This record gives sequence, C-alpha cells and structure tokens, in this order.
Amino acid sequence: MRSYQRQGLSGAIESGGLALGFFVFAVFLLTPAYFVFKGSFENLTVSLVANESGWTLRNYFEIFSAGYFRYVVNSMIVCISATTLACTISLFTAYCLSRFRFRGRMFLFGAIMGGQFFPWIILVNPIFIVFARASLINSQLGLVLCYTAFITPFTVYLLVGYLTTIPKSLDEAAMIDGASRVVVVTKIILPIMWPGMVAAATFGFLQCWSEYLLALALITDNDLKTIPLGLYQYFGDVQTDWGAVMAGSVVATAPTLLLFLPLQRKLVSGLTAGATK
Amino acid sequence: MTLSPKLRNRITIFMMLFPTFLLLIAFYVYPTLYNLQLSFTDITLLQLRQGGDPVGLSNYIEFLTSNSFFDIALNTVFWLTAVTVALRLFLGLCFAILLNSRFLAEIRMTTIARLILLVPWATPPVVAVIAWRWLFDPRHGPINDLLLTTGLIDDPVAFMSNLTTVWPAIVTIVVWNTTPLVAVSLLAALQTVPEDLHEAAEIDGATRWQQFRFITLPFLTPTISVLALMSVIWTFNNFVYVWLATSAGPGTYTNVLATEVYIRAFIDLRLGYSAAIGVTMAVVMAVFGALYFRYFGLTEMQDKVG
Repeated sequence: MRSYQRQGLSGAIESGGLALGFFVFAVFLLTPAYFVFKGSFENLTVSLVANESGWTLRNYFEIFSAGYFRYVVNSMIVCISATTLACTISLFTAYCLSRFRFRGRMFLFGAIMGGQFFPWIILVNPIFIVFARASLINSQLGLVLCYTAFITPFTVYLLVGYLTTIPKSLDEAAMIDGASRVVVVTKIILPIMWPGMVAAATFGFLQCWSEYLLALALITDNDLKTIPLGLYQYFGDVQTDWGAVMAGSVVATAPTLLLFLPLQRKLVSGLTAGATK
Repeated sequence: MTLSPKLRNRITIFMMLFPTFLLLIAFYVYPTLYNLQLSFTDITLLQLRQGGDPVGLSNYIEFLTSNSFFDIALNTVFWLTAVTVALRLFLGLCFAILLNSRFLAEIRMTTIARLILLVPWATPPVVAVIAWRWLFDPRHGPINDLLLTTGLIDDPVAFMSNLTTVWPAIVTIVVWNTTPLVAVSLLAALQTVPEDLHEAAEIDGATRWQQFRFITLPFLTPTISVLALMSVIWTFNNFVYVWLATSAGPGTYTNVLATEVYIRAFIDLRLGYSAAIGVTMAVVMAVFGALYFRYFGLTEMQDKVG
C-alpha cells in the first residue's frame, strides 16, 4: 500500500505532519548513537575542568592499553565457536525435519520453536549448579555450549524455512546416483542454501555477541570476560569513566551494525511469516 | 551385513537429530526440571555440593506473601511489559506508516529512514543502556545540558535515581532498542495490503481514517497480534535492561521478577528461593506460550514442514 497524496490545504497539512514525524523519528532513533559516537572521541575528563574540547583518540588508546582487546578476542572466540557449532548441528536437524517423516517430528519442531521464547533467566540457577559441579564455571567451553544451546532453536527454525524452498527432487536425483544422505546434505544442499546458512550464522553470532546474563553468571575471571561484561567494569561505584565506556561501546557496536545491514529483511520475513498468511 | 533401507533411514535420522536432541535435553529440559526440584529445597550457593534440604512449598509461600511481591509483580507486569509493549506497538505502527508514505518516497528518504531504523536495532542492549545512561547523566549528560541551557530546569535531574523519572527512563531505553523490529515487521505487512482496495474506497468517498480503520488495520491485525505476543514473552523475562540501567534501584524501586531471580541467587546466595521465583515466572510464560502455539505456532509449523 502506498497512500495517496492529497492536493491543496489538506495535502500540505499532511505533508507537514509527515515531515515533522520523520524529524521526530530521526532525532529519537539517532540521538543516543550520535552522542555515544561523539563522546568516544572527546576528552571528557579535561573538558569537565577546563572546558576544553576537540577530537582525540585518547579514549580508544586508554581502553586498549587497559586490556579491552582481551574482551574482544574472548567474545570472538566464544561467539564464532558457538555459531559454527550451532549452524552445523542445525543444518542436519533442519534437513531431517523438512525431509523425513518420523514419529515425534512435530513435537520436536514444536520444542525447537518454543525454545526461541524460553526464558533463560530461569535456567541460570540450574545451569550454574551443574557447571559448578562439572568445573565449567570460568570456562570458555562452558560458555560456548550454553550459547550453542541458546541460538540453536532460531538457527534450526531459519534453516527449516530455507530448506522448504529447495525441491526434494534434487535429493532424490543424487540418491539414485548412489549418494548417501550425509553426502546429499554436504555436497548438494549446503551449496544451494549457503545464503540461508550465512543468515543463520550472522543471526547466531549477533545473539551471542550481545548476550549478558549467562556471561555474568558463568564468568568471573577477568581474562575470560566477554565485551558486555568488560564494558560494565567501567561503571565504578563512585565514578564512571565515560570516555572509556563510550569508546568501548563503539567497538562493541561496529561489528553488529555491519552484520545487520544485509540481514534485516530476512529476519523480518522469518519472524512474522505465519501471521501474514 | 547389509541393512534394510528402512533401518538405514532410521539410523540416519537418529544421527542427524542426536546433537540437537542432546542440547535440548541438557540445556532446556533437564535444567527446567532441576530448577523445579531446587525450588522445593533451601539450597544456597555456599553448599552447592551437598545440596539443600527439602522445605516443601515454603519458598513459594515466602515469595508470594512477601512485602515486595506486589511491587515486583506490578513493576514487571505494568512498567516493564504492558507499557513498553503498548508503546512499541504504537510507535512501531507510526514508524511503519511513515516509512510507507508516498511523502517519504517523494523526498527520497525511504532508504535513509530504513538505515536510521537499523541503528537502534543493531545496537546490543548493553550498549543501548549505556547510551541512554549517558544522555540521562545528571552531571554532564546532553539532556540535562539542553534543559539547563534552555532554562526549563534550574538544577540537573538525576533521571535514573529519581523515583518519578526512573521508570519512564527505563521504558525509553527498552522502546528505543526494540521498536525497530516491530516497525520493520509492520512495514512488511503494510506492503501486502492491496492497493486497489484503497482506490476503491477512495472512489466510494471513504476518508483517510476510514481507509485506515477498515482496510489497513484488519490486514495488520494478525501481525500486530504475533508481535504483541512475542514482545510480551521477550520483555516479561528480560533481565538486562533493568539490571544494567538501575541494578533494580534506587533501593529496590525498579525490581522486576528477572532481577529478583538474579539478586536472590547470586547476591543473597539463596538458590532454592530464587528457583521458586523462576518457576512462578515460567508458569505465567507457559500461558503466553500456549496462546502463541494455539493461534500462530501450529499454522506456521504446518507451513514450514507440512
């Protein structure tokens, strides 16, 4: 639907209203990002006293010399491992759900759909206890397993949607030529659904990248902290080092913005597909 | 030894599903059941290995009759969930209509507007909270600067520690971060409304409001319902916004169920009591989950895998 432009006075009022709406929209959505970006290049500690201004990279030097790079590396290790693991197992699961008919199939798919909405806050206590007994607290392996479980429901869901668009006759042709199912998945299906895999992987990575609760409960060792935990260290009890916080925020957000750009349309069609039928 | 094709198929299915199956059991089913069991004990963080003693329903009774229960429930249901979901649906609808308007296309701003929408959406919640805490900062935050220089206030307002402003401030953060998803979903739905319906209505002399009310809105209703339900489920359990914005403070003024679960478990060290709160939350969420499956989930599953 594209609304029609009215002529004359009512049209002018409507255009004016929409222009105002667009202005409010842009200001509301961009202001926080603008001030964080601007603040990350400002010398806040000096300007408070001497009212000096000017651009500086000091905040960035400060956080990286104070070990922020460690958090970036930790986040990368955990998020990439969990994403790879989740996408691999999701591919086979999604393939089974879309190609085979077996008992409990709808139940399993329902459980996976439900997993997307599962409140992790109530899983934190039991997982913490089990991990404590298994010495998986302060372990990247523990966090990777949690994150894999955390993102798998959505990656399976996205991939199932993608697989339904691939005709089954492709599989059958390959099977007649003597290929096994595993070969079909890895050699025939995977190359075709590569865009779907990229979308699922990007989504999974983003989810892990901004996850805070599980990391907070399971990681206390400073050398293992991920970016969200690292960022919140700058909020001291008495004073906040705002320059460092904002530089750290920019570093934390840059990759998500870049990854989000190509992904957004796909995500939306995945989320509300059932409703628009 | 050769296997029958049927058996081979079964083995293939089993092998392909096994890792996900294991993950679901280990990280969803087992912890949920274990949490239920914990909620009937007095286990604390200090005696993890020996476990707690069974205490029956006393954790539940203590929580449901505690003085703070009503405040926490009200905060969670009203401020954190109802207000933010209503606002994000309303604003999301406004944004979607704006993005779909011919006016925006004529001034060649549609793509720019989509990119603007992407900024809060791609911002991790942790950073969203930081950004707004900076804007609201009483000492040198931009909002206080603006209000002071324009003379609207005489003294800086500590938005995050003032009882009248703290909830609106948290609501702002949540709405800022989550509205773009709603807006883009509604925009996608808006674009499925057939144009000739509007043309026909226009010819019949329907006003703009009537067109919106009787053509656009009915087309959007299913999408709005799904978005409302999903937003409720996501927000009701949300821990990160309140915890990072105020740590449930000032005092316990902004405490919600999710932060209460965390505080009881990791600050008071009472894991059993905390588990009981978690189970209470899960029961409430199960209702919404059932609604989702009843009205949307099942059809969607049929569409996906038949």
